[in-house]
Amino acid sequence: MIVPYGHVLVLAGIIFCLGLTCVVARRNLIMVLIGVEIMLNGAAVAFMGSGLLWQRLEGQAFVLFILGIAATEVSVGLALILHAYRRSGSVDPDTYSVLKG
Amino acid sequence: MNLYALMFYATAVLIIASTVLAVTRRQAVHSVVFLVVSFLGSAMLFYLLGSPFLAALQVIIYAGAVMVLFLFVIMMLKAEQGEEKGFAKRFWAPGVLAGFLFFAAACVAVFSDPSGTVPLKLNAVTPKEFGRFIFERYWLAVELISLLLFLGLVAGIHLGRDKGRGEEDPE
Amino acid sequence: MMLSFNQDLVLVFALLSVLPPLFSFGLIVVFLRSSPGLSSLVSISAVAVSLIGAVLLLLGFRRPVELSATWIVTGHLSFPFGFLLDPTSLLMLVLVAGISLLVQVYSVGYMAADPGYSRYFAFQSLFAWAMIALVLSSSLLQLYVFWELVGLSSYLLIGFWYEKFSATQAGKKAFVMTRVGDVALFMGLLLVLLHTGSLGIQEMNGSDMASRMSPDLLTLSALLIFGGVIGKSAQFPLLTWLPDAMEGPTPVSALLHSATMVAAGVYLLARLFPFLSHAEAAMTVFLTIGTITMVMASTMAMVEKDLKRIWAYSTVSQLGFMIMALGAGGFFEGTFHLTTHAVFKALLFLCSGVWIHLYGTNDVFAIGRRGARRLKAPMICIFLAAASLSGIAPLSGFFSKEAVMGALAGLDNPVWVAAGLLGVFLTAYYAFRALFILALPLKEEKGGGDEKPALFRTMVWPIIILSFFTVVLGWLEPFLEGFLVEDVNIRTNPHSWVVWASSGLAVLGVMVAWLEFGRKGSARIGFAERWAPVRELFAQRWYLDHAYELVLEYVVYRTFAALCSRNDQKVIDGGVDGLSRLTVAGGRVLSHLQSGALRYNVALPFVIVGIVVFCVLLV
Repeated sequence: MIVPYGHVLVLAGIIFCLGLTCVVARRNLIMVLIGVEIMLNGAAVAFMGSGLLWQRLEGQAFVLFILGIAATEVSVGLALILHAYRRSGSVDPDTYSVLKG
Repeated sequence: MNLYALMFYATAVLIIASTVLAVTRRQAVHSVVFLVVSFLGSAMLFYLLGSPFLAALQVIIYAGAVMVLFLFVIMMLKAEQGEEKGFAKRFWAPGVLAGFLFFAAACVAVFSDPSGTVPLKLNAVTPKEFGRFIFERYWLAVELISLLLFLGLVAGIHLGRDKGRGEEDPE
Repeated sequence: MMLSFNQDLVLVFALLSVLPPLFSFGLIVVFLRSSPGLSSLVSISAVAVSLIGAVLLLLGFRRPVELSATWIVTGHLSFPFGFLLDPTSLLMLVLVAGISLLVQVYSVGYMAADPGYSRYFAFQSLFAWAMIALVLSSSLLQLYVFWELVGLSSYLLIGFWYEKFSATQAGKKAFVMTRVGDVALFMGLLLVLLHTGSLGIQEMNGSDMASRMSPDLLTLSALLIFGGVIGKSAQFPLLTWLPDAMEGPTPVSALLHSATMVAAGVYLLARLFPFLSHAEAAMTVFLTIGTITMVMASTMAMVEKDLKRIWAYSTVSQLGFMIMALGAGGFFEGTFHLTTHAVFKALLFLCSGVWIHLYGTNDVFAIGRRGARRLKAPMICIFLAAASLSGIAPLSGFFSKEAVMGALAGLDNPVWVAAGLLGVFLTAYYAFRALFILALPLKEEKGGGDEKPALFRTMVWPIIILSFFTVVLGWLEPFLEGFLVEDVNIRTNPHSWVVWASSGLAVLGVMVAWLEFGRKGSARIGFAERWAPVRELFAQRWYLDHAYELVLEYVVYRTFAALCSRNDQKVIDGGVDGLSRLTVAGGRVLSHLQSGALRYNVALPFVIVGIVVFCVLLV
């Protein structure tokens, strides 16, 4: 017996919401991407806890996949940031307002 | 309150504290470093929750490769951008609001369900069992992940090309 | 002669009395607006047909008949629509149809050059239909419908010359004041309906009504119904609309505002007489109001200079007299006076109309100066009418007045008889005051010649016919009493001193008027006009209009109207405007989401999900 299941989910939620705050509130695209990573980490914690509750290995399998996907997504995302930075000269997401209105 | 519960709460405090610090730093590099600490804590959590293999993978891939990649890109863009401009309330307000609201809803959802209070049972899985499980049941997903990594590689090369050839693109 | 009809024939004649004026109204309004001659022809023939039907019904009367069909059925209530043909309604029917016919013939001459000629006859037909249907109504609900229609045609006819501002104001005033009375009437109807479940007149007059409603309820509904009578018959305190209604053409004043429409109130009381006589307290109230009105209006007529207004006040006063009779329990006396009054009051107005049409002025002194006495026929007839009004024997007014005084003398309290005698004196005084001013002016203008207005014949013959009836009607009293009241033995008046007293007072009134206005070298100032406060009191209608203006100003305009308009501005308009402002502001806030910044787009789904989960889980 470790802890009640709800506590694990609460921890996952806290991590996820911290990541959300980071995405929304920072004015540097790289920080936004870091926030996304934090959110993914929170989801992984939730999966682990659920796998342990039901004593199934699917939870852990999915954490493996999350890891892989996070790695891919970071590399593509950073490449995109570089590209965008070279075109517009700024990494502030507020300057990318072509879709305004 | 036994030993494992204590370990869980200590790890949780570590993760949360370092994540908060990571989110609120002005300098991106500081943020990345704190995030590495957070991921290490996360790895310990994974071990506690029954998967030493994934704990190791978390340290190697996430903390070791992804965060290092972040550092590289930060350093590539660092010279031109400088520090971030102020932390005004109107930037943080929607984030805090969204996070808080979402978190509150999640708590209500979790604790209104009876299974939210079921205590977890300890278990641990060796890498061998885990590998057998993965390749027997979810081999297709593994193949797709590898394909995805390949795609990521191609995209990274293409997008990250230098100015000389990238500018000819009308896009 | 007694003709015998079966039920179907009675129905045919009843419809023959009611429907032709309606068709005439429709025809004139739709098709005949541009041909005046044809309009008057259609209208007059319609009323003539109604009169023929009425006379036939009267001659063929055996016993009361009610013809009805079901009109509205809701739940357990059912309202019939039909005709009740009993002595009272048939008598009134003949009266209304006859006087309408005479007035319409007169109008051919009076309204000859008027551009609204067709419209006038259309409204006259409308009025004739509404009044005839009112008289024949078999249930109070139906009567109320036609009551309102009669009020509508009165409004249309008072404001006939709508280019004159005072005429439109007078029409509005008449309508609003009678409406106040009508609200009371409707409440009385509702009370009766709620407690007995039916509004049929025969049922209400039945003997079991006293057991179905408690005495207090009876009194209350009787008083409320009387409220409608106060409005329609211009009793105190709702009497000031009638003098102002003289803005309409003179034939309209003759027909509506003396003989028929204002008599509808008295007719209602006569109709419901058995019902109302169960409520003793209400009858006393009728007596009181009638008395007050009679004396008050007589004083107002004593100082008036406008000829039509004198006769208007006289109408109010005489209606009060009739209500006194009915309040004293004298059903026949009140109805008889209603009949004779209709005839001689219409005569008074029509004769005055000849001079008003000729000289274009209403002022008594001006008409007298310009030579009213030179037109012989109107002069003789108006003399007869004024004498009948004052109750000089042997004209019809004498007989009806004596009947009413007899009924009043039969009451315990002598104050009613005393008031009646005072009223008789004042009536004779003001009537002959007007007459002497007309006939014996101080200085007559020369050079007027014997000019007669165009179409004088159409104006003279109705007058002659009416004067014939004024003279003759009194002698028909026994027949009428036998007709109207069942099982009566013609009794002699037990209070014969009243006859001598009232006749003496009438003659006294004539003599006082002669002293002050008639003889050569008289000062031409009435005894009431000598003291300025008294004269002002009478001339200003006992300051009733001022009281109304005060009530309107403070109660209606400053409080209710102000509250309602403030509610309209602040609450309703403000609410709607506030809603729109809220929407615009909301849009402005939400437009920040579309500013192209990433953070709002990312935060939004999580906020929404949070809210939805909250709602789902907490509800």
